[in-house]
Amino acid sequence: MTDVTTEPTGEDTATDVTEAPAVDLDREGEIAADFLETLLDIADLDGDIDVDVDGDRASVSIVDSDEGRVPRRLVGADGKVLDALQELTRLAVQAETGVRTRLMLDIAGFRADRRAALVKQAEEAVASVKASGERVELEPMSAFERKVVHDAVLAGGLTSESEGAEPRRYVVVLPVG
Amino acid sequence: MLEEALEHLVKGIVDHDGDVTVRRANGRRGGDLLEVRVHPDDLGRVIGRSGRTASALREVMRALAGGKNIRVDIVDTDRR
Repeated sequence: MTDVTTEPTGEDTATDVTEAPAVDLDREGEIAADFLETLLDIADLDGDIDVDVDGDRASVSIVDSDEGRVPRRLVGADGKVLDALQELTRLAVQAETGVRTRLMLDIAGFRADRRAALVKQAEEAVASVKASGERVELEPMSAFERKVVHDAVLAGGLTSESEGAEPRRYVVVLPVG
Repeated sequence: MLEEALEHLVKGIVDHDGDVTVRRANGRRGGDLLEVRVHPDDLGRVIGRSGRTASALREVMRALAGGKNIRVDIVDTDRR
């Protein structure tokens, strides 16, 4: 019998390997916005769509509009519905452009809030490691969330690494030396 | 509304969007059943790797249905 271990591929930065040069991020955002706008219209749901570019990704957000709030069921428990809608939106963009996209979708600031909470958590871990000289292990997170934490730890002047196997892979904040 | 929403989602991700149909049927266990048919070449796209795309479609449709019991069936027209 073969012993199958799911060894993580090392990098936490998800899928950056397949990046084609000169992706038109504005165009990706526009296609995504059209796709989502039509969906909201059909379902008769409130919400405005913001399109932006965040670093090397197109970033699309459905936000509350003057007419009413985006229904929170579009985010779902732990952002499950949001993740599903992001997946479908990426596929719709890819179907148009023929190129893989790493577009991020947010709804009602869910990811922004989550990101802020992760940064706070990272900063607290950094403070604790600096005070005690002991490593601190955080709870399991998705690759994207771990990336946010790694960046925040680095900004706080320490280093971190990921341990464990998906989907229970977690960040460890390391003491200096 | 739900059929139309599902049709929009599926048409967005396939190559042959003219071949997409969504039909509402009465599910046996009560609740609605939406049957999706696509061009045979697009079947893989709609199902996705390990059923990932099909799951995403179901997740979003359940949210749009607002807790109503709804099923999404992707019909394999090749095997008819």
